[in-house]
Amino acid sequence: MTTTGEVFDFDLMPFLQSRRNVYQLIYLLFMEPKADQFLYDLGKGINFKELEEFQKEIGKTLEQFFNQISDEQILKQKEEFHRLFIGPGQLAAPPWESYYRSKDHLLFEECMFQIRDLYYQFGLQNIKENKEPDDHLLLELEFMIFLSEQSLQQIDLEELKRFISTQIEFLQNHLLTWIPPFCERIFENTTSSLYLGAAMLLEDFCWCDLEALIDAREAL
Amino acid sequence: MSEQNPLKNLLTNKMQRRTFLKWSGAIGLPVVAGGIGTKMLVERKQDEKPASAKETEQIVSTCSITNCGGRCVIKAHVKDGKVVRVSTDTQKGGDLSTPPLRACVRGQNYRKMLYDPERLKYPMKRVGKRGEGKFERITWGEAIDTIASEIKRIGDTYGPESRYVNYATGQSSGLHGGRNSARKLLSLTGGYLEYRGDYSVGAGSVATPYTYGTNLTGSSFDSLLHSKYIILWGQNPSEMIFSTPYREYLVQAKNNGAKIVVIDPRYSDTAVAFADEWIPILPTTDNALMDAMGYVIVTEQLHDQAFLDKYCIGFDEDHMPEGVSKNESLKSYLLGMQDGIPRTPEWAEKICRVPANKIRQLAREYATSKPGALIQGWAAQRQAYGEQFMRGGAQLACLTGNVGKLGTWAAGTGSWSRSNMIRPFTYENPVKTSIPCFLWTMAVEKGTEMTAADGLQGAEKLNSNIKMIVNLAGNMLINQHADINKTSKLLEDESKVEFILASDIFMTPSAKFADILLPGTTFFERHDIGFPWGGGDYVILGNKAIEPLYECRDEYDVFADVAEKLGLKEQFTEGKTTLDIVKESIKRTKQEIDPKFPDYEEFKKKGVYHFKYDEPLVGFKEQIDDPANHPFQTPSGKIELFSKALWDMNQHDEIPAIAKYIPSWEGPEDPLIGQYPLQLTSWHYKRRCHSTYDNQEWLEEAGKQEMWMNPKDAEKRGIQNGDRVQVFNDRGLLVIDVKVTPRITPGVCAIPQGGWYTPDKTGIDQRGAVNVLTSQRPTPLAKANPQLTNLVEVKKA
Repeated sequence: MTTTGEVFDFDLMPFLQSRRNVYQLIYLLFMEPKADQFLYDLGKGINFKELEEFQKEIGKTLEQFFNQISDEQILKQKEEFHRLFIGPGQLAAPPWESYYRSKDHLLFEECMFQIRDLYYQFGLQNIKENKEPDDHLLLELEFMIFLSEQSLQQIDLEELKRFISTQIEFLQNHLLTWIPPFCERIFENTTSSLYLGAAMLLEDFCWCDLEALIDAREAL
Repeated sequence: MSEQNPLKNLLTNKMQRRTFLKWSGAIGLPVVAGGIGTKMLVERKQDEKPASAKETEQIVSTCSITNCGGRCVIKAHVKDGKVVRVSTDTQKGGDLSTPPLRACVRGQNYRKMLYDPERLKYPMKRVGKRGEGKFERITWGEAIDTIASEIKRIGDTYGPESRYVNYATGQSSGLHGGRNSARKLLSLTGGYLEYRGDYSVGAGSVATPYTYGTNLTGSSFDSLLHSKYIILWGQNPSEMIFSTPYREYLVQAKNNGAKIVVIDPRYSDTAVAFADEWIPILPTTDNALMDAMGYVIVTEQLHDQAFLDKYCIGFDEDHMPEGVSKNESLKSYLLGMQDGIPRTPEWAEKICRVPANKIRQLAREYATSKPGALIQGWAAQRQAYGEQFMRGGAQLACLTGNVGKLGTWAAGTGSWSRSNMIRPFTYENPVKTSIPCFLWTMAVEKGTEMTAADGLQGAEKLNSNIKMIVNLAGNMLINQHADINKTSKLLEDESKVEFILASDIFMTPSAKFADILLPGTTFFERHDIGFPWGGGDYVILGNKAIEPLYECRDEYDVFADVAEKLGLKEQFTEGKTTLDIVKESIKRTKQEIDPKFPDYEEFKKKGVYHFKYDEPLVGFKEQIDDPANHPFQTPSGKIELFSKALWDMNQHDEIPAIAKYIPSWEGPEDPLIGQYPLQLTSWHYKRRCHSTYDNQEWLEEAGKQEMWMNPKDAEKRGIQNGDRVQVFNDRGLLVIDVKVTPRITPGVCAIPQGGWYTPDKTGIDQRGAVNVLTSQRPTPLAKANPQLTNLVEVKKA
């Protein structure tokens, strides 16, 4: 990375915290919607203006959903969630890395086992191992959340760098290999502002985070 | 990271401006209280293998039990709980007592089926209109509760006869399976309406026993090594397999000098691979050809009079049953003594289009090249008068004396069996009422009006229409039953069938009609034993290779839970798991049937067991060698070319006492042909097993879904090879690509059966699901499916 240009005061801690927060937000947006208080509260907590600063369209799209949130809307999103990610039958946007990376669009393929190895290296395991694929979007996001939280705990520079490197590699070798085509399918197949916004945020943030992490690693 | 953290300020003044700007928004996003909730990534258990140390590959021998004509060995290569590849039997060919049981193209696709992202993964309940395909994920608890309460409610409200387990063959072999599990549970709670017969050989399996007293009319395949002449009449083992080792024996028979003739409207893959001669014929006219062959054989004195005199009833006036006019004999019919129409080759040519001289040649060759084997496929009995086809073949075998001797084949249904295992999973249905399986839609619509004339048995009448359907691993609910449009409409009406339970591994057209839809297991995920279909001296252990994926479950376990809910768990399981059932079957088979049978561990290792015999099984050998002590199981104890039982039904036009050609509705002689000038037939395609695997893309490369049409018919309609066409009649319309080929008889089109009904927004099928065009009118005697009897027109889409 080039080192030209102005440098800014950029605190490590808020940086690492906010990364975690964004991954958490994305995770929650991609969970099955439930007709309870949760989505209402989530909407109240998001500052859409700030999100617009991050990326204008994302903030607007999500705001559109959360401004009109109602029980009926949530039920509609639930139906949409099933159609896109659960089934039964043909899925509009299969949420597994293997699907995008294997020749025949299958699940439980080699790339999933690479991810499993990575989980093992950090003492982790999919609670539904060999039942549900280890490379589901939510599991990969949960792994990123785990890694960003671990980064926050580190007091040793080399260890911190190791965690940052792992996240860079995980983004490069896994998340970003399939998130773009996955989001593309969402863009093509839904008009739900919740899922359009969530997908935009997911894709954009992963790229942005990669860049920031590389930057940070150089700076450290 | 706390304020005291030494790394806290490391980034200060080091990050790039653009990164900062981009981040300024994100930084403000809130911490979500409670984080992400329940974690899916948990601390890894310590006792397991160290990270990255991969397991070595295990090879698990297993076996699919779909309704495939074959039953082959599938070897699952399992590593880290995953099937990484499949291979098949590596047994060398040559020794026909242990023939290799190799998978075909369908078997090579199994791993893709297993890990297909579209597997049904969770229990679902319908949320839209029935058939619309809208579902919502539910817990297993809710699914079990609903099933238990509906079974009880419908039984209490309408009586046990209102509950029906639909014909379904996704698990057609094996020891437990969906259908049997459902039947056992229903048996324990008052019973269910039973069905008889099947969609494979529905007409034939009722008709054949009227001639021979049994459907076990076949011989073991090794007997064919002694045949001089083999006719495969409407049989296509190259695609539908018809027992995995069968083709190996046909090759060997051919090497031994047998001439093989294939009679089929299509120049099938079997004709390509095995036939010395292909005889094209119009569908539904097989019996005209049979009658004319009979005429030639009798008039040219090529018949075996001694055999007919000794073993048969009804050939000539001297061998007629009491109380029946002598003019009703087979000979009298063939010679036209009663109606003045001798069934000459010229007479037949006009009907079936086989040239008269070709008929003569075929009749002479079959009657003189002994021993001869006339083997009937079942396609030609899935027609309006399918009963006649099966009895007609048997008639020819008897005319030529090709019964009971090595190298012959008695025709008819042609099943054979001499190797079996104990099947310990049993139940007894307290309800003794049954319907022919093809008439289930009638029983939904007006079951209480059904009588013996509709094939109702065990009761004068039904107390209720069908109100609940259990459809497990089956696509007969919509796709494979005749007249899809009519069936869909019937099932959409939720006041008729009140509850439909389905389980499957994919979202089939039938599964869409479920009220509760359960995710079933593939054979990789369960314990079972595979029995060969259509004969074969072997069994294959269906080892469980991996744990069920997602929330998929064996139906056995599901119904065990339902039983528990109803307080009947112990009665249902008798304390056994599916593995216990498999082990018990093996143990008892060794004790009670074959002491050489391996024990479980050995069977598990080898995967397959071949039963060995010193000599071929010859159908009816005992009856022919020693008739005094071994009568045929018919009312007269003889072969009944003329069946008094059929005669007494007194519907001689449609249910004649001897097999004869009956001009078929929607056949070439039906005036409807003016409006719909093409006969439409279907066949079992190599890329599918019935409708199973139709959603498997890789197999589409092995065989595209397309309709065959003769160049003459295409030219008349301005249709080019590869064109998309509409195929239609009064029952429906579908759209399909066309293959223009001289491999099909002019006047006939053929669509491979089993394509998944895929209506577009206007309700028009885009996949070529042939049952959009087929009729629910049953055959006269068996009340069986006539799905290869159709008239259609075709035009460019």
